[in-house]
Amino acid sequence: MKVEHSAYIRRNQPLFQELLRLLLKEYPYASILAQDSRERSYRVNRALSSVGEDSRDCARGFVVRVWDGARVAEHSFNRISEERMPELVERVRRAVADAPLPEGVEDAACGAPDDEPLTFCDATEYEIDPALMGDDAILSRLMAIRDRTLSRSDKLLDCIAQATWNRTTKLFLSPRRELTQSVLWTTGAVIALAARGQEIKDSMISISNLGGMELLDRLEAGADRVADTVVELLDSLPMVPGEYDCVCTPEVTGMIVHEAFGHGVEMDMFVKKRALAERFVGERVASPLVTMRDGAASAPQTGSYFFDDEGVMAHDTVVIDRGVLHGGISDARSAALLGTVPTGNGRRESYRRKAYTRMTNTFFEGGSDRVEDMIASIRYGFLLEEPASGMEDPKNWGIQCMVNFAREIRDGKLTGRVFSPIVLTGYVPDLLKSITAMSPEVELSGGGFCGKGYKEWVKVSDGGPYIKARIRLG
Amino acid sequence: MIERILRALDALRIETYAISETDTESAEAFYVRRRLDMKRRTALTDYSVTVYRPFERDGAACLGSSTAPVYPDMEEDELRAALEAAYRAAGLVSNPAYELYAGEREDFVPSRSGFAGRSPEENLRAMAEALFAADVHEDAFLNSAEFFATRTLRRAINSRGVDVSWERCEVQGEYVIQCVSPRDVETHHIFRYREPDAAALRGEAERAIERTRDRARAEEPPATGTYTVLLSGEHVATLLGYYRARSSASMIYQKYSDWTVGQAVQGDVRGDALSIVLKAAEPYDGEGIPLRDRPLLEDGALRTVHGGARFSSYLGIEPTGAYRCVEVPTGRTPLAEMKRQPCLHVVSFSDFQIDSFTGHFGGEIRLGYLFDGERERVVTGGSINGSLPELQGNMTFSRERYRSADYDGPFAVAIRGVAVAGQGEA
Repeated sequence: MKVEHSAYIRRNQPLFQELLRLLLKEYPYASILAQDSRERSYRVNRALSSVGEDSRDCARGFVVRVWDGARVAEHSFNRISEERMPELVERVRRAVADAPLPEGVEDAACGAPDDEPLTFCDATEYEIDPALMGDDAILSRLMAIRDRTLSRSDKLLDCIAQATWNRTTKLFLSPRRELTQSVLWTTGAVIALAARGQEIKDSMISISNLGGMELLDRLEAGADRVADTVVELLDSLPMVPGEYDCVCTPEVTGMIVHEAFGHGVEMDMFVKKRALAERFVGERVASPLVTMRDGAASAPQTGSYFFDDEGVMAHDTVVIDRGVLHGGISDARSAALLGTVPTGNGRRESYRRKAYTRMTNTFFEGGSDRVEDMIASIRYGFLLEEPASGMEDPKNWGIQCMVNFAREIRDGKLTGRVFSPIVLTGYVPDLLKSITAMSPEVELSGGGFCGKGYKEWVKVSDGGPYIKARIRLG
Repeated sequence: MIERILRALDALRIETYAISETDTESAEAFYVRRRLDMKRRTALTDYSVTVYRPFERDGAACLGSSTAPVYPDMEEDELRAALEAAYRAAGLVSNPAYELYAGEREDFVPSRSGFAGRSPEENLRAMAEALFAADVHEDAFLNSAEFFATRTLRRAINSRGVDVSWERCEVQGEYVIQCVSPRDVETHHIFRYREPDAAALRGEAERAIERTRDRARAEEPPATGTYTVLLSGEHVATLLGYYRARSSASMIYQKYSDWTVGQAVQGDVRGDALSIVLKAAEPYDGEGIPLRDRPLLEDGALRTVHGGARFSSYLGIEPTGAYRCVEVPTGRTPLAEMKRQPCLHVVSFSDFQIDSFTGHFGGEIRLGYLFDGERERVVTGGSINGSLPELQGNMTFSRERYRSADYDGPFAVAIRGVAVAGQGEA
């Protein structure tokens, strides 16, 4: 089934077109992005439950971008009516006219935004409509998953089962473009918690899909594993700092792909001369086994859409081709400044915020090695599981990734000893060049959000195969 | 819109509710080197309506709640349908019963900030002038900056009489300092000011330039081992955030924390005993609960469990409201004296974090100063990884003070016995 477009946006499209007409009387270029997002979240644990739509991603509003022949300005707002048109136009005028220019700072001129003719209207598909399934049925499934998890061990302090669905319709209008899309994604997670004195250990499974509540079956299937894992973590040991041969699960591979390399090829960083990757295009940056892609059209996951927030159609971009850096990803404005073709990666946290170059679905392609052989090849090392968080360093290609735990490998076998928590550090090309094996299966996961620094959160997915690499752990 | 919401709630016979209204006006500017790359304005009105539904389940009194999506342009039918759906959902949420915070209508509280009374554009311009005034060097310079100047009007209403409103004005943003020689490096900085303290922003930027120069000449990580680690500035605020998190009524009710008032939560104190005050930086929290300064920790012992109406009711304690700001008394030891002992002073991380569930803290070192007892050298790379519950008894706080939007306390803390993953094996 296709996702239905927002009735609100359909009903008010004539208003948006009227505002565009008024703006184009004053400016050579103007565009409007209208957004209507519903996001509903469900959460149960041992003591409490919740259902609601109060989040950053529940948003209905608009952003206008104008180009006055030299400079670009934007105005974000969330009230529109015929009566308010003069006020909205005046607010845009003020946004264009005001230029906070400290001494020695100039107002940067740029060319007209690209506006090749384009008309588009489509929506993603789903199997089980969350709205039709209903709050009661979704909560009941989550409670069953919670109860099943808690029943695995009396050592469990709590279990949190949660699910979220987001249905977003966007309309982009410019002098020569009219684009409409609707996208539905769903995520779910089960987190098991156990106490070791003051320390609360946790293990989590996170599942996501471009679609509806059909993902709950997969969530239920993973519940036993987190219960068993968190009990193992009660006996976990602190990591002995050092450099080790490691096997990474697809989730950990995804975090390395995203944090260690993905942020470094966001081309708004090239504009600012903040990305080391700009100097390495055409050069070897990874093992020949590595091919990396990013794109809203690269995989059906939570980072998918048909066009970006600047009205550019989604791409499937090869970032690393068999170890050689092929190119970056970009928003329209950065591409114009760099003289490159935009890749459909101009994304906003919502209509309230500026568009930046952002990742979408980012992953390594698969290889041909078996996971069992990777483990068997390691004399002493670790299997890294459950990524926790990471931070980019595009200028210097430093790595910071936090991983929940590492399973010890000795003489080619898992010993049963577990270490937690783990900090991965190092130099990105060193890590990527050290990759010596990749499994065939590629898994993507989009349970979380990606920030630009410490803000601008957008939904993404990342992943890849199991990989074997040399990594510094602490 | 508030009147329309109240009428719709009345028509649906929804008797228990909480409404928040937020009007935000902002000016934003994005600079790349000495060019204004983009300017933005926003004018936004947001509503959040939570409806509550009392019922019984298995003989126990429950109060379910759910938040409805409410937008300023909603038509009557759509608004009514959203509230109705939320009320149905609230009937599925079988949480133990509690009372919303009871209050009354209060006068609007205007912001006392120096930003108040001026437009966001004017406030942005003043702070941008301050940042660029520090950008006077050839070798280390401002690579890029973003400013967000906001004026926010908040109103909180509920069905138990609360009707309060207040104003908040602030300027926040981030900037990147780049130094190209001997190595091309950068450092990233975020800021948030409730007062137009241009001198503070300029001073921070000047220090950031110095540190970026140091990072440019840093080449090696420290050797793997165990160190006395010095954290400073915002990293101290992040570290001490653990105590605010673990003492929240929400964590305690859900048994994620077993802290009780009077408990010596800092454990066996061999270093400086920790005291923390919850600071009322705003007149009310989001529920409309009046905020006042409260002692959180005194000499390492917990004095207040804090939280909103729901979890406070569950624990049978007074609702204090939600706090963001803390004040911590400074220590007795000058920073210079702390740095005379062998230590690793990490001033910049990729992302310094503490997990409030486990107390583990850590991050990758972007810039540190390693003093081995004889000489100091600049280091970069590697990571620190420590457990605050294990190490908290042996901390020393600096006499020097650091202030930011949500923290006022010691500039630095020395923590003994922190594991560092760097060069070589352990």
